[in-house]
Amino acid sequence: MKTFTKLHSVSNNMFDIKQEKIKGGFRMKLKMLLMGLVSLFLVLALAACSGSSNEPTTSDSGGDTKTEDKGSEGTTAEQKPVEIRFTWWGDTKRNEVYNEIVDRFEAEYPHIKVKREFGGWGDYWDRLATQIAGGNAPDVVSMHQFYVSDYARRNALKSLNDYISEGTINLSDFPESAVNSGKIGDDVFMVAKGITMPGYAYNTALFDELGVEYPDLNWTWDEFQAKLIEVSEKLPDGKYAISDLSGGQLQPNLRYFLRQKGKDLFTEDGKLAFEKEDLVEWWTMWDELRKKGVIPDAATGVEYENAPLEQNMFVTGLTAITQIPANQIYLYQQQFSEGEIRMVRFPSRAGGENGEYIEGAYLSVTEKSKHPKEAALFINFFVTNEKSLEVFKVEQGSPASSKMSEFVKPLLDPAQARAVEFIQITVPYGRPAPYAPLGVNEVEQAYKDNATAIAFGQISIEEAAENFMKTAESVLNK
Amino acid sequence: MEALSSFWKRNWVGYFFLAPWIIGLIGLSAIPMGTSLYLSFTNYDMFTSPSWTGLDNYTNMFEDRKWMNSIKVTMTYVFLGVPLQLLFALSVALLLNKGINGVRVYRAIYYVPSLFGGSVAIALLWRQIFGGNGLVNKVLGFFGIEGMNWISSPDTAIYTLVILTIWQFGAPMVIFLAGLKQVPVELYESSRIDGASSIKQFFSITLPLITPIIFFNLVMQIIGAFQAFTPAYIISGGSGGPLDSTLFYTLYLYQKGFTHFQMGYASAMAWFLLIGIAFITALVFLSAKKWVYYQD
Amino acid sequence: METSKATKSISNVRVVSNNSYRTIKNLKGILLHIFIISVGIIMLYPLLWMVSSSFKIETEIFRNISFFPTEITFDSYIQGWVGLSGVSFATFFRNTIFLVTMCIIGNVLACSMAAYAFARLEFAFRKVLFAIMLVTMMLPFHVTVIPQYIIFNKLEWINTYWPLILPKFLAVEGFFIFLMVQFIRSIPRELDEAAKIDGCGPIKMYWFLILPLALPALITTMIFTFIWTWNDFFGQLLYISDINLYTVALGLRMFMDAMGQSSWGALFAMSTLSLIPLFAVFIFFQKYLIEGITTGGLKG
Repeated sequence: MKTFTKLHSVSNNMFDIKQEKIKGGFRMKLKMLLMGLVSLFLVLALAACSGSSNEPTTSDSGGDTKTEDKGSEGTTAEQKPVEIRFTWWGDTKRNEVYNEIVDRFEAEYPHIKVKREFGGWGDYWDRLATQIAGGNAPDVVSMHQFYVSDYARRNALKSLNDYISEGTINLSDFPESAVNSGKIGDDVFMVAKGITMPGYAYNTALFDELGVEYPDLNWTWDEFQAKLIEVSEKLPDGKYAISDLSGGQLQPNLRYFLRQKGKDLFTEDGKLAFEKEDLVEWWTMWDELRKKGVIPDAATGVEYENAPLEQNMFVTGLTAITQIPANQIYLYQQQFSEGEIRMVRFPSRAGGENGEYIEGAYLSVTEKSKHPKEAALFINFFVTNEKSLEVFKVEQGSPASSKMSEFVKPLLDPAQARAVEFIQITVPYGRPAPYAPLGVNEVEQAYKDNATAIAFGQISIEEAAENFMKTAESVLNK
Repeated sequence: MEALSSFWKRNWVGYFFLAPWIIGLIGLSAIPMGTSLYLSFTNYDMFTSPSWTGLDNYTNMFEDRKWMNSIKVTMTYVFLGVPLQLLFALSVALLLNKGINGVRVYRAIYYVPSLFGGSVAIALLWRQIFGGNGLVNKVLGFFGIEGMNWISSPDTAIYTLVILTIWQFGAPMVIFLAGLKQVPVELYESSRIDGASSIKQFFSITLPLITPIIFFNLVMQIIGAFQAFTPAYIISGGSGGPLDSTLFYTLYLYQKGFTHFQMGYASAMAWFLLIGIAFITALVFLSAKKWVYYQD
Repeated sequence: METSKATKSISNVRVVSNNSYRTIKNLKGILLHIFIISVGIIMLYPLLWMVSSSFKIETEIFRNISFFPTEITFDSYIQGWVGLSGVSFATFFRNTIFLVTMCIIGNVLACSMAAYAFARLEFAFRKVLFAIMLVTMMLPFHVTVIPQYIIFNKLEWINTYWPLILPKFLAVEGFFIFLMVQFIRSIPRELDEAAKIDGCGPIKMYWFLILPLALPALITTMIFTFIWTWNDFFGQLLYISDINLYTVALGLRMFMDAMGQSSWGALFAMSTLSLIPLFAVFIFFQKYLIEGITTGGLKG
């Protein structure tokens, strides 16, 4: 034990304990530490418990959906209290908007209580997949074109046909194209909260400064390329006309291009609806632009690929034109102190068909919902009731109901009004568009991978198109 | 009965202390692990019931070029990241253990990067540092060297992630520090009186005595690095790009499971990884007999 | 600080009459500090950048290349603190501290018990069980998430803290068990023998001898549990959806939306605030790491 003595003779007072008391000293210290922890924990536990139970909006925690009798459906006990869960993705502002809508719904239907769940885009889909797989799906879920095939084709969503025909969900003011955009086959699986149309956006201030004429609302792919070249010649080195759109998601860019040629991404029965040559033509166009320095080199493109809106190439002034959905105009406008963000249609093909189809943000009811009727009531309130739309305005696109879209018009700021105007101009061009088959995610991955490989000069366009067709066909024929 | 009671008599103390862990193992770990093992032999899309496919998922892996590539990427990451991070952590721990003034402040500062965890701020920051117009290129430009786009070139992207790992070296550093504290001071004193140099002291006293801690850090970092997910997820936005150059094994597994809804395949990938890690960990454990010194 | 003082006092004795040696030593010390500080600045850069951004006007964050804000504003803090639907960050902090405290208690107790068994006790299948423990750490969590979710859903524990706390009390984190095993194994057996002669049973031995002597490992466990639970958001994301139960990690995610607009100012401001407890805990506990107990004395 000589060590201990030596050791402690050089240590500070707190540890300067006599040899025989050493063990006791340790014990005391540990005790103090533990006691401190325990008392801290007690205080906090009390605080946390009282804190959450006092909140008026909380119901008690835990899967209390189970406390509800499942028999409420179809019985006359309309007033029997029912709880449904509604989930959405979005930023803080949207969370405020949707909370307000839900509050108004609860005031209108006092017997229905709506629990809210939300998260950012990525988190939202991870959680939703886990909840559905784990048998704990929310009743009303926000849906998107990217994912609806995956969910609907795997029986995770309920067909809303019955609720629409019996009038629980009243879509009489919806244009047929808007209703159809939520259909897979003959079944309506989702109802549009808001619809939007993609297009190309530019800032008037930059074009004025460069002395370039604004692009025309109806331009062709040739005019598009000419405009890009003109812009890029006026821009200094290190700035580009537009970012590289040769890859990424299959829609809208490639899809518009194909539809204008009278084709599409997929057929109704889930096969590829285009040929290798179409892809070669598409990628060649972008490759030429890349070689001319009109679009950024591969590495620069990748660097900004996942940048948040505030830091993307267009907002930071690295590109002059960008492709966005119209409902985002006001988000972009907020980023620029000078100029007006305006939008033009997708370039068209001389003598070709219209590429347009309706996009949007949607609401669905999950297959295992115990209260589908109440869920349908909620959707109906959300998309057709003035009390809801008054708050919603154009939060996720222009209201699909034409009556409601007129109703919100006077409530909008100029950038939002421009979005609605653009949507109203382009919607009539829309043609039906079949939904993607299962496996679309893998096909999209192959598209993206091969486009990037071309950009980095790793393979030829011909090879990339070959690779893509092979992968896509093997996935879709599974 | 007799045998059982005597078994119990001999072992009850051990199982008493192990009880929480055993309950956790059976209740919380075993069922999910068993389920995922079962799912690895099925086609499971998360929403509909799994269908048995035998060994298909496992054989398909060997035809999957992205899977092969993800192994290569992960190996690069593990074999560069783990030793460099440990070396760095140990050096800093030794430096900070020297009793220089203000050591507490320094130690806290050096831990700061690890406090960030997987915060999005890191993604923004890394782009600011290793992007085309980033800090690194500005410094290089000052010396007249033309830089490149480190973070988004397929050849260099993985190294920016290795640097990220090294930069977040706080956890092993703290463990090393705690371990260094276990080295008895009087060993140094007596060897100093014997006239040993500090380098000799390090190799004859410090190093052998902290081998259990080095061993621990090595094993845990290997297990952790093979399953590394967050660095690539936040920097590449979950894509593993450019050109799959940062497609870590678990990132690909995540894509397969949660994006492509192929949870069966993802489970098979997970079990293949488990076997791989177990094999390498076993090797480390075997080697430990040669270089790890315990007091007991 | 014992080490420093010990080595210092000894070196002082040796160099006391040698002035030139001392100046060289001072110079070396200064260089060392310069080195440590300059590496430290690299380490600190992100923190400084985030703190500085949190005081900028929101539109200035990505516009103003300068490190310093042109005008200091607390708007981001005010805006961020408000939270959502009348639930402010105060609630998130309270919830997180509760959660973290429970996790710490769970981890320290359950993992130290298991570690004591593995390191010191003799029982059947010890090695096998230890190997199983290591193996449980080798399966990527993405494939066990769903079965686990199903279990907790069956128990009706979704939207409570149980799925986050209970595993800690059942020593699910092998990392800490292994860590403590390594530390306990470097406590000399002679102490055990001595205690045994004094009449200590295994339970007393665990509580009065091993736990105090493994304090650095316990402190390390506390620090890591604190930091990792504080930062972990995936588990919290899956199991907690009621905003009244939100933690800081979830509160911070709320500011982010890849498809829309993120509130960067609020995000940075609240991230800065959320680092304060982490930093405080680290500063507070780390002294126990350093001034902790030197145990290996007997071998000397």
